[in-house]
Amino acid sequence: MSISEKIENKKDKNIKYITKDTISTGNSDVKIVAFLCNWCSYVGADTAGTERLRQPENVRIIRVPCSGRVNPLFILKAFDLGANGVLVSGCHPNDCHYSEGNFYARRRLEVLKEFLPFIGIDKRRFTYQWVSAAEAQKWQNLVINFVKRIKEINSK
Amino acid sequence: MNMEDRLKEKINNIIDELKIIVGYTKSNIPLRVNPIFIENKDEIKNLIFNNLCINNLATYAYTLSQEIDGKIGIILKSCDTKSIVQLISEELINRDKIKLIVVSCSGVIDYKKVKNSLSGAEIISAKIDTENINIKTIDKSFNLKIKDFYSDKCYWCDIYENPPIFDEFIESDVKLSVEKKLKYEDINEFEKLSLKEIFSFWQEEFSHCIRCYACRNICPLEVCKDRCITQLEEPHWQTQKITANEAKFFQLIRVFHLAGRCVECGECQRACPINIPLLKLMKKVNKEIERLFDYKPGLKIESKPPLLTFKKIEENIKEDKIV
Repeated sequence: MSISEKIENKKDKNIKYITKDTISTGNSDVKIVAFLCNWCSYVGADTAGTERLRQPENVRIIRVPCSGRVNPLFILKAFDLGANGVLVSGCHPNDCHYSEGNFYARRRLEVLKEFLPFIGIDKRRFTYQWVSAAEAQKWQNLVINFVKRIKEINSK
Repeated sequence: MNMEDRLKEKINNIIDELKIIVGYTKSNIPLRVNPIFIENKDEIKNLIFNNLCINNLATYAYTLSQEIDGKIGIILKSCDTKSIVQLISEELINRDKIKLIVVSCSGVIDYKKVKNSLSGAEIISAKIDTENINIKTIDKSFNLKIKDFYSDKCYWCDIYENPPIFDEFIESDVKLSVEKKLKYEDINEFEKLSLKEIFSFWQEEFSHCIRCYACRNICPLEVCKDRCITQLEEPHWQTQKITANEAKFFQLIRVFHLAGRCVECGECQRACPINIPLLKLMKKVNKEIERLFDYKPGLKIESKPPLLTFKKIEENIKEDKIV
């Protein structure tokens, strides 16, 4: 397979899910996009729902196969389309379903986080966290605190 | 024998084993040089090398090595070899296919700086020797010193005498002597501004962008030009609109595709027809990578780009604690 064919196969199909519709949250003033990995955080958020833990309604969840799947450009695109905050969550380090996806993600996302202030975006608007499938309580706290933080930044 | 003659003699000796040689030649535009592609011996006399040779000829390395069977010779300044090191370490070009004729550089002139110093007067002709630039405009003539107009990258260059990689090395007659500056001085200064000021600074700069993609096309490391994600229909990352936001997003694509790879040759900023300070973005991301992963691109062939590898325990990463 030539390089060009390889690139062709790797086309980013997921980007079409990040649209203005995904990001709009009705009347709510704070819009947050969350990229959750299929194996830990998405299940964790699901468990939180099943356990009826109350959470703010500002978060729109996009499911990705692994936190390593999250391209830094997804986050920048979300900000570009008007998100107030972006959250990425995956399996804890050493617990990745694909054994090392989140290690790559950590490096990339850390660089992105440190870069954001340079284009005028508060770096606290973006965070990446590790939430496992069992940590429904942690997910609830995470969402509540993150929404609170974004509201604080917005009101300044 | 001066350096230019030594360069020509060297090329004369090795041209038989090479299919094509890329070098510098005179341009019709004053203060500029053109690239030249030499295939036989009688073209060698057109070669030049002087302080105006700011172009990074490593830009041609990838395309030529794809299109041409046989060995390619490239004339490079010491700092340009970093781009080649990076291309080889990413296995984008084959080391055996290129011959690097490296010239120890005595600093290059940033012609934009010269133009600015003349406050907009049109340059009719320019002559250059080892120390001075003589410029004629329509009604005046100027005698400028080369040492005042070095490109920014010369001020933090530390490899002008010992390039990381070369096949033939040609020493220059004059040694580069500049007052060294810290590489990230301007970045640190810029970061002191408030977020609002930074945001409006970039918004203002990118509102002039015409999206000509010159910055992308000239970059020696952006080898995916013909299938750039900004021009794809599916997925539709970007529209073709010319707005500040779209232009900024295009630059951010470049920044993250070059994170940990960019060798800061400054070609994107030089090629920009409206002088957007693009190198600032690249330098910032390199600064962070140097701090986080202790890595400098373009110095060792064996080293892996930091974002293509990981450590189980990252000493320098401080994770954001919310919960």
